[in-house]
Amino acid sequence: MLSFLYARQSGLDDPVRLRRAESTRRVLSLELNHNRDVDRIHGNGINTLDTEVIDGRYMLSGGSDGVIVIYDLENNSKKPQYTCKAICTVGRSSRHVHKFSVETVQWYPHDTGMFVSSSFDKTMKVWDTETLKPAEEFQFDGNVYCHHMSPVARKQSLVAVGTKDPKVQLCDLKSGSRIHILQGHRGEILSVRWSPRYDHILATASTDSRVRIWDVRRASGSLFTLDQHNGDKSKASSEAVNTAHNGRVNGLCFTADGLHLLSTGTDDRMRLWNSGTGENTLVNYGKVVNESRKGLKFTVSRGCSPEFVFVPCGSSVAVYGLHSGELITMLRGHYNNVDCCEFHPDYQELYSGGKDCNILAWVPVLRQPGIEDDETNSKRGGTQAAINPAFEDAWSSDED
Amino acid sequence: MSRKRALIADTFCLTKRRRCAADSVTADGAADIRSSLQYLMTLFSRKLFNDSLPPVVLKHQLYSLHNDKTSVDKQVNELRENGDLLMFQLGFDSEAFALVFAEDYRTKVLQGEAGRETLGTVEKFLAKLIPGCSDLSFNKEKMLKEFLFTDPAITQLVKSGVLTVRDAGSWWLSIPNSGKFIKYFIKGRKAVLGMVKKSKYGEILKTELEGHHTTSQVKFQMKYHIHEIMGAELVESIQTTSGTLLRYVDGNVN
Repeated sequence: MLSFLYARQSGLDDPVRLRRAESTRRVLSLELNHNRDVDRIHGNGINTLDTEVIDGRYMLSGGSDGVIVIYDLENNSKKPQYTCKAICTVGRSSRHVHKFSVETVQWYPHDTGMFVSSSFDKTMKVWDTETLKPAEEFQFDGNVYCHHMSPVARKQSLVAVGTKDPKVQLCDLKSGSRIHILQGHRGEILSVRWSPRYDHILATASTDSRVRIWDVRRASGSLFTLDQHNGDKSKASSEAVNTAHNGRVNGLCFTADGLHLLSTGTDDRMRLWNSGTGENTLVNYGKVVNESRKGLKFTVSRGCSPEFVFVPCGSSVAVYGLHSGELITMLRGHYNNVDCCEFHPDYQELYSGGKDCNILAWVPVLRQPGIEDDETNSKRGGTQAAINPAFEDAWSSDED
Repeated sequence: MSRKRALIADTFCLTKRRRCAADSVTADGAADIRSSLQYLMTLFSRKLFNDSLPPVVLKHQLYSLHNDKTSVDKQVNELRENGDLLMFQLGFDSEAFALVFAEDYRTKVLQGEAGRETLGTVEKFLAKLIPGCSDLSFNKEKMLKEFLFTDPAITQLVKSGVLTVRDAGSWWLSIPNSGKFIKYFIKGRKAVLGMVKKSKYGEILKTELEGHHTTSQVKFQMKYHIHEIMGAELVESIQTTSGTLLRYVDGNVN
């Protein structure tokens, strides 16, 4: 570690290298922390979590009871023991609450004034955070499994919605129109994801075992379908030709740079694809237990040197190396199935929510402070213990 | 969590690795896969099939011997491209692939065909297959145009067992007389999994399972089945101070 710091200081190393090495070390030491807690508001399982992009301070959660809660993740108390408080909730008593389970929530990518939630009551609502009332409501014909807004879009504000209908619908937030439809799938759409690299590329996963990549600017069909055998038709049985998985595909996640796409399926496999060519990189993660009948929400770390994938597997979260495919560790702590997990890139923390109504925070275990720190603190006396010795100077005085 | 030592990223391990000797697990070369394959082939019981089958190994048995599945896949593909190894799709599981050394396959097939009138066609097929082609299945167009076989010749190949029907107009590459193998394999796998499930707490030490007396259902060697269920992740393998522990995983299809 000291060698990294010295190299950074003397200019031998790129500044990013120290940051990446430290992020990786922190992710590898993720553990359930008894100091960090999240308020328990939901009465039923938690289906989805989303942290806002700007500050990483507020987190949304949607539950099976239709309740939506906003938490403040920042620790303003000076004590290490901290409970993330729920700032506001759209509870069962609210007039506009969803009637059935909320499947997906997402903050508006550019500020926290607005968030969108979609639910099994066949609606998608656009909420105003200040008043907690829906500014817009979209009705659909079938259960809405998932929706996603592009995190990089500046000119367009389309929300892609996956429902029971094989047609993917694009709703425009600016005009309220929903005429843009993407046709091609033959089964329910379980997961939709925009690329974090281009604002016109969309990936959709469906129960017909196919994952399609679309360019929404084009009027024709999908760009390509992901094929697990990379076009080698001889490997699959004839029905399984050109499919991404041998079962339903229920989870999609792009890596942070948008160059790779991960998909999980009910055939207990997770596959890594090159998102530009659609090629299966054939990284073998082994058996990734997946019994979810609706979408599975998993996430990839950002800013680490070998990236990590956090996948909910039964009642624990499995951490895999992204490109090596090896299982690094299993994070155990939930009492029931885990449904969603969310990675906080600035603090390298993982939040996971599941059927046991708990949101658990996995925090990197810090190095224990050395004994010499305690001695110097006690010498200086209690009043000055709060000042970091790095900020002390010899000429200012506290008496003024 | 019972991790004894915290996980350390590779970047921080440089000095440590320079000083200690390299782990045997990290130094996997192409030669290692071949030697693992040969070891697994010795576990295959030839006498059971009266020597009519070449030794067959399943691809996921290799996963139980080596940690990095992606590099195992890569090396197997390299061996297949060189023409040393042949891969077959067994019917019962879309992910279970059988591996046979090309030389063994050729000798056994020709041995089985000796004296029959299909010998000539089979020889021609093997000559086309072994050096170049690494496909698992063939469709009619390929057989007629590339390999220049006629329809009656294709029927002869199916009769001799080298091809099995996949669907109208396409065939899987297969091992002749492998029906018995698949039947014993599935029965044996079910019996071994049942042994793990019935043991106290649903878990058993690997060495203890190897020493278990084999029931009449299990025709292959116990080690063969154990490698297979470990590699297919039908049981969870946990390292303990007394060796590897195999724990039955609920929710298996079998």
